[in-house]
Amino acid sequence: MGLIERTPLVQIQPVKFLLNWGRKYSLWVMNFGLACCAIELIATSTSKHDFIRLGVIPFAHGPRQADLLVVAGTVTDKMAPALKRVYDQIPDPKYTISFGSCSNCGGPYWDSYSVTKGVDQIVPVDVYVPGCPPRPEALLHGIIKLQEKIAGEDIREKWSGKLTGAPAGD
Amino acid sequence: MASSPGPLPATEITRRLRARFGEDILEAGEPLDQPVVRVGADHYRDVIKTLRDDADFACDFFEYTGGVDWGERGFDVVTEVSSTSRRHHVRVKVACDKDEPTCPSISDLYPGANWHERETWELFGIRFDGHPQLVKLLLPEQFEGMPLRKDFTLMTRVAKPWPGEEETGEEQPG
Repeated sequence: MGLIERTPLVQIQPVKFLLNWGRKYSLWVMNFGLACCAIELIATSTSKHDFIRLGVIPFAHGPRQADLLVVAGTVTDKMAPALKRVYDQIPDPKYTISFGSCSNCGGPYWDSYSVTKGVDQIVPVDVYVPGCPPRPEALLHGIIKLQEKIAGEDIREKWSGKLTGAPAGD
Repeated sequence: MASSPGPLPATEITRRLRARFGEDILEAGEPLDQPVVRVGADHYRDVIKTLRDDADFACDFFEYTGGVDWGERGFDVVTEVSSTSRRHHVRVKVACDKDEPTCPSISDLYPGANWHERETWELFGIRFDGHPQLVKLLLPEQFEGMPLRKDFTLMTRVAKPWPGEEETGEEQPG
């Protein structure tokens, strides 16, 4: 049991606002780039689009140091277990952005024998960014949408891991 | 360094192969100015060996092996080799049986063919006789079926039929 679970302070609106405000501008991002979308994700991290100005920090050295998982590209059925494993290693609170048509729903590979039709079959997704591939601006918009979501969150519920399917007892 | 002779013209390549193998070359042509020959499975290795070892062909580079599912007509194995010194390409097609498609392996002649043949085997179910390790290369272990065969059922297509006007893969006129 940590401080978050024990103290009633986090339910008080100004404290809740402050904690969420701090969290939403410190998102270490895990790069799960699988196809051409990964190039757009990397472009968003570099100087021109520069998502560090939104508090997204590229790139976590591993899933255990990450807060945000961006799945950018075509997830195949063979890759899906690896994606699940990476997701499970990210500590709560964690967020997922599905970036591009392939990871949203299979995209142009909607009838393929090997492509997973939507990454939300494997892990919970917070924000879907449409496009094939989406421009970096679209990812920036998706990040802002995610930050709006974080701002309104119940911290206790998010910390509990119930929303992200953490194994019981952890 | 002495300049190497230029590429053999496509017509010259098919003419020489015809002269050498006679009736064993079932078909030969030069679509888009590329030499293409069709042989039976029992002469496939001889043709490939000639292309590799003959000093005039000098095909020292293996490009690819793939497959084509023609439905009722059976399968084709398509192999392309090229010469890095003379800069010409030759395509060899092998007709395979519809029910039990088999083809000799050339992975001992060109080591690069090893993975191409494994891929063609797992996606089309074409057996390569003499291949040292015919096991799955790309597909997951538990995958069942041969997904590039025309009669492979795409489950998504069962749930939602192809929304376009014409079925992809249908032969177009002309």
